[in-house]
Amino acid sequence: MMRGKEGRKRRIKFSQGKQMIAVMFGGIVAFICLVNLITRDKSFSEKENRMLEQKPELTAAGIESGRFMDQYESYKSDQFAGRNLWVSLKTNVDLLLGKRESNGVFKGKEGYLLEDIAVPNQEQLDENLKAMKEFSSDYSNVPFYMLLVPNAANILSDKLPPLAVTEDQEKQFEDIKKTLQGEYVWVDAQKALRKHKDEEIYYRTDHHWTTLGANYVYQELAKYMELDTSKAPELEPYAVTADFNGTLSATSGYKSGYKEPIYIYGAKDLKDEVEIVVTYTDEQRKTATLYDSSKLKGKDKYAVFFGGNFSVMNIRTTADSTDRLLLVKDSYANCLIPFLVPYYREIIVIDPRYYYGDIYQVMKENKITSVLFLYNGNTFVEDKSISGVLESHETE
Amino acid sequence: MLFSSIVFLFTFLPIILVLYYLVPRIYVNILSSRGIKNAKERYYPAVRTYKNIVVLSGSLIFYAWGEPVYLFLMVFSILFNYISGLDIARNLKNKEKAKRSLIYNVGVNLLILGFFKYEGFLLDSINAVLPVDIPFRELPLPIGISFYTFQILSYIIDVYRGEVEVQKNLIDFAVYVTMFPQLIAGPIVQYADIDRQLHARKETIENFGEGTLFFIRGLSKKVLLANTIGMVFQKVSLMDAEQVSVLSAWLGCAAYTFQIYFDFSGYSDMAVGLGKMLGFEFKKNFFYPYVSTSITEFWRRWHISLSTWFRDYVYIPLGGNRVSKRAHVRNIMVVWMLTGLWHGAAWNFVIWGLYYGILLLIEKYILADVIEKIPTAVRHIYCLALVMIGWVFFFSPTLGSAVDYLKLMVGAEGHGFIDKQGLYILMTNGWMWVMLVLGSTPAVHDFYEGFIYSKGQAKMKAAVNCAIYAILFLLCVAYLVTESYNPFLYFRF
Repeated sequence: MMRGKEGRKRRIKFSQGKQMIAVMFGGIVAFICLVNLITRDKSFSEKENRMLEQKPELTAAGIESGRFMDQYESYKSDQFAGRNLWVSLKTNVDLLLGKRESNGVFKGKEGYLLEDIAVPNQEQLDENLKAMKEFSSDYSNVPFYMLLVPNAANILSDKLPPLAVTEDQEKQFEDIKKTLQGEYVWVDAQKALRKHKDEEIYYRTDHHWTTLGANYVYQELAKYMELDTSKAPELEPYAVTADFNGTLSATSGYKSGYKEPIYIYGAKDLKDEVEIVVTYTDEQRKTATLYDSSKLKGKDKYAVFFGGNFSVMNIRTTADSTDRLLLVKDSYANCLIPFLVPYYREIIVIDPRYYYGDIYQVMKENKITSVLFLYNGNTFVEDKSISGVLESHETE
Repeated sequence: MLFSSIVFLFTFLPIILVLYYLVPRIYVNILSSRGIKNAKERYYPAVRTYKNIVVLSGSLIFYAWGEPVYLFLMVFSILFNYISGLDIARNLKNKEKAKRSLIYNVGVNLLILGFFKYEGFLLDSINAVLPVDIPFRELPLPIGISFYTFQILSYIIDVYRGEVEVQKNLIDFAVYVTMFPQLIAGPIVQYADIDRQLHARKETIENFGEGTLFFIRGLSKKVLLANTIGMVFQKVSLMDAEQVSVLSAWLGCAAYTFQIYFDFSGYSDMAVGLGKMLGFEFKKNFFYPYVSTSITEFWRRWHISLSTWFRDYVYIPLGGNRVSKRAHVRNIMVVWMLTGLWHGAAWNFVIWGLYYGILLLIEKYILADVIEKIPTAVRHIYCLALVMIGWVFFFSPTLGSAVDYLKLMVGAEGHGFIDKQGLYILMTNGWMWVMLVLGSTPAVHDFYEGFIYSKGQAKMKAAVNCAIYAILFLLCVAYLVTESYNPFLYFRF
């Protein structure tokens, strides 16, 4: 530090430098304000997949309650000019400083982004499991299967950043398995996936598993469900897009430029393909395909499977079978369902997060012959809707 | 409104600055162009009043932004204390009357503070101890009430003591109470320090530039350092206690230690900077507290405006240290219990205050001769460890959880000393820890200023300095914008 007269003199001389600082600050603030003034407000952020806050209306009531101020603050930052640039500037600085996670997403090795393992919502989880057991005990002659898919951070734990620690998903699964014992047939997806962990079984930028991962687990599932795989057509994968940049990238801000493919499996011989009709009950819409290729143009390309998640879908097929499956699921099921189609006359797919109907009635009216619960670990341990859907019958 | 927000930086502040600087200048220019000579000098008082009105109305909006209803409370406080100050001054010749007026005023101010800040705590404690159950409704705390109440009291008491002139100008007085740079988080400006500046202060572009330096430095401390390391603290405090090793526990505590310092001192720097931008000079509030070698020294360097306030308005009036040993012990304990209570209405803050009271007494009466003989390095460790233990009481929601956390720190729970999780927290924030440690000492700042102010190539150095501060500011903006970056997690639905 400069002390004494000498130092003071130079400090005074530095007044030029201080003027410069004043001008710099004024300039930057004025420039940013100006750019913000002339930038037009957007209504939707493709990257974050959400509606952006719009300019709030100035009302006396809004000011009095403070709502106007809250909205104005969100509006200002949501509409901040060059928002995505600022965000990637921040993520890159964080990376430089050694940070390896952002918004619950790890930036792992070999270009993998991995969603952190969720902490169970224990109370709700216990309730869900209890409801599931009660549900299955009402149908003693229908087999119930539980297929819980581990998340990437579990199977690909060697891809986590150095030293990173997550919740122990294996232990979570073990507890769930124990609770459901006797009522549900536990399908061991972990074993099947671990065997293939060096293959592309999870997306690098998305939290879902790939169709390849789903295929391996389907083969395992077929054994448990005693499906006659000789009846099914021989399948072949083909890429429907090479430009997928998934939700983990959007959530974390990492690897926003990375693109990867999505595969779907079709019959090698076209004439082997089973014909199907998918009815979206609540939407009152029917299609003759399991895929919605219009979704490949948008951001959320994983929605190519069935067009996303819907409360109830009814898949009727020309398969040579009288079996009828009830599938209670989250989005992980979407890329596995196509493999099951050749074995069932009818598959009813229910997503409890959107479903408000009576599942017992579904069981009765459709003469369901087996029931499968298919979830990924993270969604299942945090789920808040399964028990509600399964209990709705009794409360009515 | 917070300084570290997009709305403050890019809406509030620019509007205030334009109104504050440009409008009067244009006004004077118009007058001059109409042939009025010496318009600048002749209209100086009018311009000054205008500027104070800008600061006042800006401050009121700033205050009302979070809880608009409390604007009425603020207006009441201003009017009541303005009149009260006049009343005390009028009666100064009659000591008895002045004293009564003073007691009445202090009573009302403390009652307001007590009602909003301590009502819940008090009733909660009564309900716990006595077999009663008094219902109460937790009110939101009016922002800055602890700070501005203390500012007001310094004015009232100094008027009573005859140390300052009574303020007859309502606008000037209101500016003193509400001034937005220090309204919500200090420093606690004593009226005597700012009295003159209220009606005569000089704004220069150099001052503005220096204010900008302070402001950007403070903003960076808050946004780049405190917020970032705060996430580490949060991570540790949310961890399952069974998985917290000794290393993780200390890192969590260290994270908080850094967070509170960079947050609070950053806020003070921003306040000083904004003050300078408007031509005010505030005193320094923090002076590298973590390099202290004793608790006594720590409290000379930490939140200086608060300790000074307690010294001037509680400790010395009680007799300070010029009393019997016993009375001195009492004085210290009273002051530190109040200091603890000032920080928050909960028992762990009281304990935290008393903890420091006891430490200071020990240093004064027991360690006084010993401490000088101990090597400096050991004294640094001694002081820092005690301060960190103090923060455990500060950040824990209850006394019980503070004790639980301390157990984790000494390894009494047997969760291991070093584990993978602890190392991960250490390594993934590697550079951050280095910056935090260096930033807590004067070394970086002194080295930097030594370079910038050194001989030769003044222009180049000024440009480098300017570029560094510009980058810091832009980084802060990036961090602030990212705070609102909340991708809608559609896979959850």
